[in-house]
Amino acid sequence: MHSIFKQAKTQATEPASAGKPSMTSSFDQTAPDQGDSQTDLQLVRKVRNGDRAAFDLLVLKYQSRVASIISRYVFDSHEVMDLTQETFVKAFRAIDRFRGDSAFYTWLYRIAVNTAKNYLEARSRRPQGSADSADAENYDDGQRLRDIASPEKLLQRDQLQRALNKAIDALPEELRSAFLLREYDGLSYEDIARILECPIGTVRSRIFRARDAVDRHLGPLLNHSASN
Amino acid sequence: MDDRLRETLSAMMDDEADELAVRRLLSFSDQDEVRGQWQRWQQIHDLMHGTGAAADSVSPATDVSAGVWQRLDGRVPASEQHATKATNLQRWHWPAVAMIAMALVVGFGAGSGWQGVGEPELIAAQAGAEPNATATAASVSEVSLQGLDDRQRQQIHRYLLEHAQHNSVGAGRGSVGYARLVSADAGGY
Repeated sequence: MHSIFKQAKTQATEPASAGKPSMTSSFDQTAPDQGDSQTDLQLVRKVRNGDRAAFDLLVLKYQSRVASIISRYVFDSHEVMDLTQETFVKAFRAIDRFRGDSAFYTWLYRIAVNTAKNYLEARSRRPQGSADSADAENYDDGQRLRDIASPEKLLQRDQLQRALNKAIDALPEELRSAFLLREYDGLSYEDIARILECPIGTVRSRIFRARDAVDRHLGPLLNHSASN
Repeated sequence: MDDRLRETLSAMMDDEADELAVRRLLSFSDQDEVRGQWQRWQQIHDLMHGTGAAADSVSPATDVSAGVWQRLDGRVPASEQHATKATNLQRWHWPAVAMIAMALVVGFGAGSGWQGVGEPELIAAQAGAEPNATATAASVSEVSLQGLDDRQRQQIHRYLLEHAQHNSVGAGRGSVGYARLVSADAGGY
């Protein structure tokens, strides 16, 4: 599945070394959506103006990551859910104090950590782990959560993962290349357009169509996951 | 939602949508559809990056936002209150008791100029069993609640109620200021 992605990346490195430093910097992004996000800032501005729908999108975007942060401290699933909600409640109430000095996710991460620590302190329990806000940019929460997930969840996740791989393999080459360069390497549309030698609008369209195709392929599994 | 709008949403996922496009998307009439599509793509993204391995309680398919809005709107289901409620109660219980005791002493002592006859037990009783609050009350024990008439007793009850309410709303901030501002004789608080 990843051979095309690797090939595209190799192609991308060549012109970068030939005098396009902006492209090499893009390749350093291993977690693109955890850095500065203009979309997040746009949504934050909307939330400040009273747009609830904008906050919903932020919640949906970050709820899994916030839950995984909290689950480093608290292992009861109901408490994790409660504290995840509490984190977003605090974030909403303090949104006017978010100055944009750091990424929104980093700010949210600090709130989540403090919420979990305060909760444990109130319960007179010692934190089970430790976390600093610096961890927010590169924390791999997958392993930790695999440790605490139930066997049913693990099975379901494996099924989803297999279906995802199959869906990506089934994509036409031009869609798959654009999609993987975006998702796995975090390249901008502009960089992908250079690599694939096509207009930015085409890249945008290809990524959308790839995403849509994968979504349709996974459809029933995602619905099943939602109902559980 | 037509394909153009969905393509905009996809670009938003990738941080490639401009402000105007975001505004257009958020003003779309069927926000449930927008949320549903956004959530599904976020699930796929999380799955691809290994962050889809969420805790049992908050899988990527769970919508946390409903619970968040319930809390923000003060409609928290009883089953979901236990964690934060316990935390908040434990955090503010003793400070609130101490504040009320302090308000009682400062407000009545300074505002009414009553003569103290030195009965620390009575003040300690107002402060409950909290040792710190008792110590605080005892240190300013030159106040007595004896000799109050019915009107004054009613006033003190209203005063305490108002103060407790103010304390809970302000989460402890400014409570003493409030107590100092309001005189027991002033009425109208």
